[in-house]
Amino acid sequence: MDFSWDDEQRAFRATVREFLAAHLPRDWESLAHGPGTDWQSTFSKQFCGALAAAGLLVPHWPKRWGGRDADPWTSFILAEEMWEAGEPRGGQYMNVNWIGPTLMRFGCEEQQQRYIPPMAQGQTIWCQGFSEPEAGSDLASLRTRADKEGSTYRINGQKIWTSYAGHADTCFLLARTSPGRNGISIFLLPMDTPGITVRQIPSVIGEGDIHEVFFDDAAVPATAMLGEEGKGWEIVRTALSLERVGIPRFALATRMLHRAVDKLKQTGRFGIGAIEQAARARAACESARFYSYNIVDQRRHGLTVGAEASAARYATVMAERLVSEFVVEHVPEALAGADQMLLSHHQRAIVAGIASGAAEIQLNLIASDFLGLPKEPR
Amino acid sequence: MDFRLTSDQESLVEAVDKLALQFQHKPTEFHGFALVGDELESELRQGEYFDIAQVPEFGPLTAAMAVERLARLPFTAEIALSMLVRPQLPVDLPRPLAVVENGRPGRFVGTAKTLLVIEGERISIARPSADDVESVESLFGYPMGRLKRTIDLERLSDADAYATRKWLRVALAAEMSGLLKAAIDSTVEHLTLRKQFGRPLGTFQALRHRMAECAVLAGGVRWLMLKAAGTADDGDAALAASHAQESATRVAYEVHQMLGAMGMTLEHPLHLWTYRLKALLSELGGRGGQASAVAKLIF
Ligand SMILES: Cc1cc2nc3c(=O)[nH]c(=O)nc-3n(C[C@H](O)[C@H](O)[C@H](O)COP(=O)(O)OP(=O)(O)OC[C@H]3O[C@@H](n4cnc5c(N)ncnc54)[C@H](O)[C@@H]3O)c2cc1C
Repeated sequence: MDFSWDDEQRAFRATVREFLAAHLPRDWESLAHGPGTDWQSTFSKQFCGALAAAGLLVPHWPKRWGGRDADPWTSFILAEEMWEAGEPRGGQYMNVNWIGPTLMRFGCEEQQQRYIPPMAQGQTIWCQGFSEPEAGSDLASLRTRADKEGSTYRINGQKIWTSYAGHADTCFLLARTSPGRNGISIFLLPMDTPGITVRQIPSVIGEGDIHEVFFDDAAVPATAMLGEEGKGWEIVRTALSLERVGIPRFALATRMLHRAVDKLKQTGRFGIGAIEQAARARAACESARFYSYNIVDQRRHGLTVGAEASAARYATVMAERLVSEFVVEHVPEALAGADQMLLSHHQRAIVAGIASGAAEIQLNLIASDFLGLPKEPR
Repeated sequence: MDFRLTSDQESLVEAVDKLALQFQHKPTEFHGFALVGDELESELRQGEYFDIAQVPEFGPLTAAMAVERLARLPFTAEIALSMLVRPQLPVDLPRPLAVVENGRPGRFVGTAKTLLVIEGERISIARPSADDVESVESLFGYPMGRLKRTIDLERLSDADAYATRKWLRVALAAEMSGLLKAAIDSTVEHLTLRKQFGRPLGTFQALRHRMAECAVLAGGVRWLMLKAAGTADDGDAALAASHAQESATRVAYEVHQMLGAMGMTLEHPLHLWTYRLKALLSELGGRGGQASAVAKLIF
């Protein structure tokens, strides 16, 4: 067991940091860079283009698609540095983490040729059309329909909470082709297809993030289906397991905690109450870090990752909670115009226990699969 | 980063596991508080387990794994300080070791050959005779004792005191990590077997979620303590002890809730682990003490 970084890993981290220093705008930390604003979406193409040119966008992808088959640690170090900097890749992190790899695995040649190169060049934005008004945690109950008419599918229904939909070129859409779990299929749906309406949802988490997406007889050719009809659920499970380790939220949480503490120290406000809460939050961040590292390590050694992934997610939720609560209580001015970076972090932190699967669902999985408790009756 | 065990670590962990097997169960006739494992102690001594941190292939990290594993037993012995703190002291001192913190009773003080006496920032070493110490009755699952009278103290240099404090924190976190796991395992077993309203308690979500949170906390303590033992970093040690005490408060409450009245009995072993956790909650300044250390070392 070894807790140190090797020379190659250290050098890679330094390279990524140098890249960030050279490519982030000077006023980056004072900009409102919510993940889906107009500015961020435009900037993400410039930034990801430069990352791609430097070989830092998809190092973990196979050579055929512009990567260098880098190991899981490399992509995780990259993800840590990006998230800690405030995720300048915007929504494109989804492309590199799981959408690209899923197309490599399940897409046909034509789909791969059409969609993967723009991702590898950092020039395209996707959105993930899973959740619906009536299908949140119980995703398999989704209702958006895709009805076959000759060589076309007609899509009708509604998605909600869709991040980046306002700027997305393509939607990774789950729709129902027949009843039941085996009736869900995936479509790669161009967002300029007639019949699609996108409406932004005003929210406390910043501009441009979450949307409603309406489908009114949107027609796609059958060739837009990813994998076989009715296999969508299986594919999505595999796709998401490619990314079980999740976003390295602890990296930004840790940095923001230190930032908040520095502010308190500068003004002589780092008293005993704050000290105790800060220590607690810092330990929670470190716990989330090592839960996540453990998963990277398991993937590095070719092991299948099980319920530890849920434990890592939950540890991350606790860390985000403690840090954001610390800031709200001790540096409240951050939410009132005094520190854009702390504000942006707050807006990201509060969704940690909801976005990409609610915390309570993780707790259920931990109870059954990690602790081995008998399952709840259905 | 590489979390696979080395082959040396693997073989040691296996050996400790094997040794632990014989001491897995609380003797049914035992209805007391401190279940002292004299046989466990002598097996560890004969196998030279107390010196594993000094063996280069093992080091403190492997010793911390052993401390954690042995803390999961219903039997207790003075293991953590011997394995993790004694090798770091400036002179070779006889075990068992015990800590006397600000004059309070401490674990194993009644039988210790070496005392670490903490008074505020100062740490001194004392070599008590049998007349200097006495055992005290307590609810805690350790044999508790106290110093009866003033005793000759040899003050550690600031640097040695600093290092000692760090390893005391690692030892505390390693012990607590094992206790947390044992308390949770024992509770999971209960929740799986005990039925109310026609179904195992473990199927009720109100309990499942709380147990899951406890498991995540305990797993985090384990990671932080392994890291601290591995890096020997002062800040890491403070974080590990802080997270251990923080999590223990929560877990000790939850597991007792889930056992109902059974958890109040001396028949069920749960109290052995939870009351050891409670004994450790106040050590080294308690949560406030760890927080100040984290503030100083990390922020
Ligand atoms: C910022 C953000 C971005 C998002 N982006 C996207 C996106 O791009 N694409 C997309 O498809 N979706 C997206 N989502 C939606 C997200 O996946 C859902 O919010 C999530 O799956 C939870 O569903 P819900 O909000 O409907 O909550 P619900 O499922 O209604 O849950 C509400 C509460 O009930 C609890 N609950 C539900 N079922 C159970 C149960 N069986 N046992 C115990 N408790 C339960 C939940 O844990 C939660 O606490 C996003 C959400 C957010 C906040």
